[in-house]
Amino acid sequence: MKNALALVAVLALLAVSVIGFSGTAQAEEIKMVGVITKIEIAGKDAKTATATLKDNKTENLVVITVNDDLTLDKFKDHRIQEGDEIRCKYEVIDGKNVSKFFRKTAGC
Amino acid sequence: MKSSVSVAAVLLALGLAALPARGAEHPGKEALEKNGYHGPESCEECHPGTAAAFLETVHWKHASKVSNVEGLDPNKEYGMKNRIYVMCNGNDIVNNLKEIPKSPETGKTKFSGCNTCHPGNHLSDVASTGPEAQKAVDCLVCHSSDYDFRQRKPYKDAEGRVVMGQDRSTKAALAISKPTVKNCMVCHEAAGGGVVVKRGFSFTKETDAHAAKGMVCVDCHKAKNHRMPTGLDPNNWATDGLLVSCADTSCHGAKPHKDADLNRHTARIACQTCHIPRTGGAFAKDFTVWEQGSDKFYEPTTLKKEANETTPVYAWYNGTVKNTPHFIGPKGSRQDGKSRITPFKIFQGKAYFEAKTGNLLSMDFAPPMANGDTRAGVASAARTLGMKDPEQVAKNAVPGWQTIYFGSNHLVTKSKSLSCANCHAPNGVLNFKDLGYSDAEIVKLTTPELYLKKLVEKQKEEW
Repeated sequence: MKNALALVAVLALLAVSVIGFSGTAQAEEIKMVGVITKIEIAGKDAKTATATLKDNKTENLVVITVNDDLTLDKFKDHRIQEGDEIRCKYEVIDGKNVSKFFRKTAGC
Repeated sequence: MKSSVSVAAVLLALGLAALPARGAEHPGKEALEKNGYHGPESCEECHPGTAAAFLETVHWKHASKVSNVEGLDPNKEYGMKNRIYVMCNGNDIVNNLKEIPKSPETGKTKFSGCNTCHPGNHLSDVASTGPEAQKAVDCLVCHSSDYDFRQRKPYKDAEGRVVMGQDRSTKAALAISKPTVKNCMVCHEAAGGGVVVKRGFSFTKETDAHAAKGMVCVDCHKAKNHRMPTGLDPNNWATDGLLVSCADTSCHGAKPHKDADLNRHTARIACQTCHIPRTGGAFAKDFTVWEQGSDKFYEPTTLKKEANETTPVYAWYNGTVKNTPHFIGPKGSRQDGKSRITPFKIFQGKAYFEAKTGNLLSMDFAPPMANGDTRAGVASAARTLGMKDPEQVAKNAVPGWQTIYFGSNHLVTKSKSLSCANCHAPNGVLNFKDLGYSDAEIVKLTTPELYLKKLVEKQKEEW
């Protein structure tokens, strides 16, 4: 019985550690530079959009959720378009890659 | 037909006597809907002479006569059109919007040029004049909040000329007002080769006290017949001859603080010194080495910093400018009676200098953008500028650095402004020694004796 209790305690500790660590990992900010392959936005009044970026380093496609008004406005009037290279920071929140920073790399 | 046009014109004239503030609907909507938008001629129905007047402004000419910078001919005009300095290393002349040679790796080409922000159509370009230039003005890029930027792209016309597209849709015209922050930032946020590169500021409620109050750029930069007031910036040479001033009576006035001690400071300390304690933007660039991007084209090596990420440097500034091949920055002194301690964003750029004269050389970006060959860019620019033996100029060119002091006039804060103890302390942000104070004066200037009682009282009030 004592052994069983100890085992439960160890398992519980392990579970807490895993949850704790994965929680930490989710809060981490991930940086990438990539080219927009697709923008999906639902109309002029949309409060959210997704942009798919092709990571320059890994060539993986990463879907980014964009919620900030400034970037959404740039999607709506096409100041940011497919083909633009973007410097992006995002956090994984509830399984979504939520943008914290979304900038075109190019200028004039 | 003629009478219907006249009626439309009268309706527009009644409605458009002054542009509405942002958010308000543009009067004359019906006339625009009925007749459509046909470029500046539609605007001119109610604002006659505006297009011609606009051609005289810095936004169109990218240059003006400059009286406060040393070494310039007072009878000539200077600005982005023709300057050579290390934020851009090119200008509208050597980097006129053009098709870049094909990348050897992808076989693809692209359009690039310093004058991509010019509000014309490129056929009528920087400083062009006459009726065609007037017709080419892109009024809506600055005045419409519903501009489709897919239209504003360079392309080649049937004659092979590079043309800058414009959105001249009625939809865009129906959304006009005084320029919003977005209208200004379309060009001004991406100058110098990227977002927040050149000036190093963003104008959002998070980064600027004026933006947080809902103000827009033109609330301070109040245009007069499209002439834009600007601040005195050592690196902003071309101006429309109008100055922005915090002390404007409609803004903060000559005595902006409740505290008389703080108001005493304004005679010798610029407002920006306390109220813009941070800066940002590109820190350094190397035009002699270009880095390849994901599209296989090359860009100058650039060390970028965010808005509010760096600290300014402080110097006495009387509004005049030292201008040498290796330094562009403020002139002034503690003694001249005209200078104030002012913050600046420091930028350093590496480029090529002419071996014979030591002058900074310009670079045509087309060659290095395609294949990274920076000396080919110097040769091309030298050719465009009519220099003798351009290949030899490029071959002998010597790499070197130029330091530029940019004005630091945005990112205004009230809550995070510098307080007494930030400066009047032995480890304060101002280097009193460098600013010309004696050791004895520094002792007096860096003691809490100056402010302790007052700040302790304030502390009691706050807690």
